[in-house]
Amino acid sequence: MSLSDTARNIEVWTRSNAEYTGESARRAWSKEGIEWGNFGIPERDVLVLGDVAGLDVVELGCGTAYFAAWLARRGARVVGVDPTPAQLETARHLQAEFNLEFPLVEAGGEAVPLPDASFDLALSEHGAATWCDPDLWIAEAARLLRPGGRLVFLHTTPLATICFPDDGPVTTTLQRPYFGMRRFEWSPTEGVEFQLTHANWIGTLRRHAFEVERLVELQAPPDAARHEYYSDFDPEWAKCWPAEEIWSARKR
Amino acid sequence: MSALTEHAARNRTHWDATADDYQERHGAFIGRPEPRWGIWQIPESELGTLGDVAGKDVLELGCGAAQWSILLAQRGARPVGLDNSERQLEHARRAMAAAGVDFPLVHASAESAPLEDASFDVVFCDHGAFGWADPYLVMPEASRLLRSGGLLTFSMTSPIASLCFHPETDLMEPALHRDYFGMHRLDDAESVNFQLPYGEWLRLFLRHDLEVEELIEPRPEADARSTYWDASEVEWARRWPSECIWKARKR
Repeated sequence: MSLSDTARNIEVWTRSNAEYTGESARRAWSKEGIEWGNFGIPERDVLVLGDVAGLDVVELGCGTAYFAAWLARRGARVVGVDPTPAQLETARHLQAEFNLEFPLVEAGGEAVPLPDASFDLALSEHGAATWCDPDLWIAEAARLLRPGGRLVFLHTTPLATICFPDDGPVTTTLQRPYFGMRRFEWSPTEGVEFQLTHANWIGTLRRHAFEVERLVELQAPPDAARHEYYSDFDPEWAKCWPAEEIWSARKR
Repeated sequence: MSALTEHAARNRTHWDATADDYQERHGAFIGRPEPRWGIWQIPESELGTLGDVAGKDVLELGCGAAQWSILLAQRGARPVGLDNSERQLEHARRAMAAAGVDFPLVHASAESAPLEDASFDVVFCDHGAFGWADPYLVMPEASRLLRSGGLLTFSMTSPIASLCFHPETDLMEPALHRDYFGMHRLDDAESVNFQLPYGEWLRLFLRHDLEVEELIEPRPEADARSTYWDASEVEWARRWPSECIWKARKR
């Protein structure tokens, strides 16, 4: 990922912070349960994380650090990593407001200034998993994890990626090729996103010494509502096809 | 040996009735002098899925006329070919005699194979039992039959292709025609096929002590032709995955 991709994503997230995440972060921090993705699927329905008490956890692309906060409240020793200063600023305000302090590090997921083998769980929820070059950030996750540690990340599915038009809500037709998927610039005003085929996700994880343990393809619940900000994720679509998925992999 | 499941009985009737037509239509296409995979007959030498089979005990689950097992026997493997259709196995016997090779053929459903535990180094199929029998029954069988460290590899239709197949035109379309969640048994008038979501395939491997090593999504060349897919569908298969080949290792 070139410097300009990172700079562009920081610009996009600075804008999103002003438009949306700055305000919504307080609601997310206030939630008692852990929820996954745009349709807020409860962790108790998917059971991906397990008991995090006492674990060293790094969240790659933590944004306003609500997910990190949920884990910190459950006894994890969390470090949040994000490249966008405005997002970290929001996170710091909320840490003070909720009286829940943990380290925040300003860095992209491709180059994290933290020591080797110092975490039990590396996590990304639409963070590094979406916005960083997979070869680089998965290599970083592998480096940061202790042997036996886990990498858990949520992102958009490859199927949804090929069903999104250049602009607007997800469709029921295939809009772009699956083979060769990698770097996406959806529009000049949006950031740079990454997506791979399922074969290449598995290949990338294996290459970085991960054993793939689970792939949870999330189904929107019957009462799912359209997300107020990420509105291109159509809940009716996501009831029939997976819009988001969670990978869980173990470092050898 | 347990009785055939209802879908295995239906598929046996279907394959016994259509084996002659099938071999007439596809036999030459899939009976080439070197191992090739699937709809587009992509060479094993490019995909490197099975590796060196010399000296290995190899089980083919859904061998049809044993085109694959014959080639593996010629490369030093000790194959066993299993098929649910006796008529297919008659074609296999003729092909083996013509090739001058001999190995055991077993007439059974892969859902309950009358073979010893831990007796194979490789269990594989190319559009065989994993699409034509219930994966929830075949996966534990494959795991049981493999030795520790053994390889399970099989090709089948990709889950994305299963979504995009148009049931009325019989053609692939760039559109989602079927729901994904809960995908399992796909019936048509004469036979029953099976498919699972990607995540469910992974769960099934791990539940049966199989570590996933690789997922290969073969992509045909622009000039590829097949006796299975219409020439008009090559363009679909160039853009989206028509097939999956899974590779997993028994712990």
